[in-house]
Amino acid sequence: MSEPAAALLHPRAVRLDAVAADRDDAVRQCGWLLAEVGAVTSAYTDSMLERERSISTYLGEGVAIPHGTASGKNAVRRDALAVLRFPDEVDWDGHPVTLAIAIAARGDGHMAILAELAQILLDPDRARGLREATTADEIIRLLQPAEDPEPEKEPEEEGSAL
Amino acid sequence: MPERIVTIASAQGLHARPAKIFVEAAARQPVAVSIGAGDRAPVPATSMLSVLALGAAQGTQVILRAEGDQADAALDELADLLSQDLDAEAEPDHV
Repeated sequence: MSEPAAALLHPRAVRLDAVAADRDDAVRQCGWLLAEVGAVTSAYTDSMLERERSISTYLGEGVAIPHGTASGKNAVRRDALAVLRFPDEVDWDGHPVTLAIAIAARGDGHMAILAELAQILLDPDRARGLREATTADEIIRLLQPAEDPEPEKEPEEEGSAL
Repeated sequence: MPERIVTIASAQGLHARPAKIFVEAAARQPVAVSIGAGDRAPVPATSMLSVLALGAAQGTQVILRAEGDQADAALDELADLLSQDLDAEAEPDHV
């Protein structure tokens, strides 16, 4: 899949001032937000929680990337991201997490998204920028691929899948 | 420098559980091991972010390299891990 991460993130799927009691609460909010923008059905949340219990999705640099298990793919309507920023941090299996980037992907799409996110986070400036972002636009801009600035195509409008 | 070329066997590629198992095993080795894929520069096998950034899907060939006395044993162990389906035991239910 060739869509850059930023194209998968709708501004409505960004929460900058989220508060979560613990990891599971944060994951539920991620699932809720993905469902809110029509990317998944509510069953996806359970699949994300199951993944988290099997292996933590903490990625590094204060970022976690909750996503469903292989069996949760049926709950995905379209590939999408949701971003929740927790200014007060969430304890994620012993790691303080400021940013959760939730991934909904069918097929092997999330492998490519994951690799792209990892590359972004390897750049300390961009990682800090993501943690400290104060607007949805800023987050979307920081998720743009570093090179190849040519805009390939407009992000598709959603809402026609009903 | 001793090296091994391995094909990623895990169905979901080198991410999530397989990546974690691999990175943790690399950290236990007495020598520094690097992993490379395609034309990208090799990265430390102990860095989760770097390993994930390789985006090595199932069937991708990766090169493991290490130097020093125990390099061969370390490479054998890690190459063996990558040639197994590390996802296999991740799905507890018969789905």
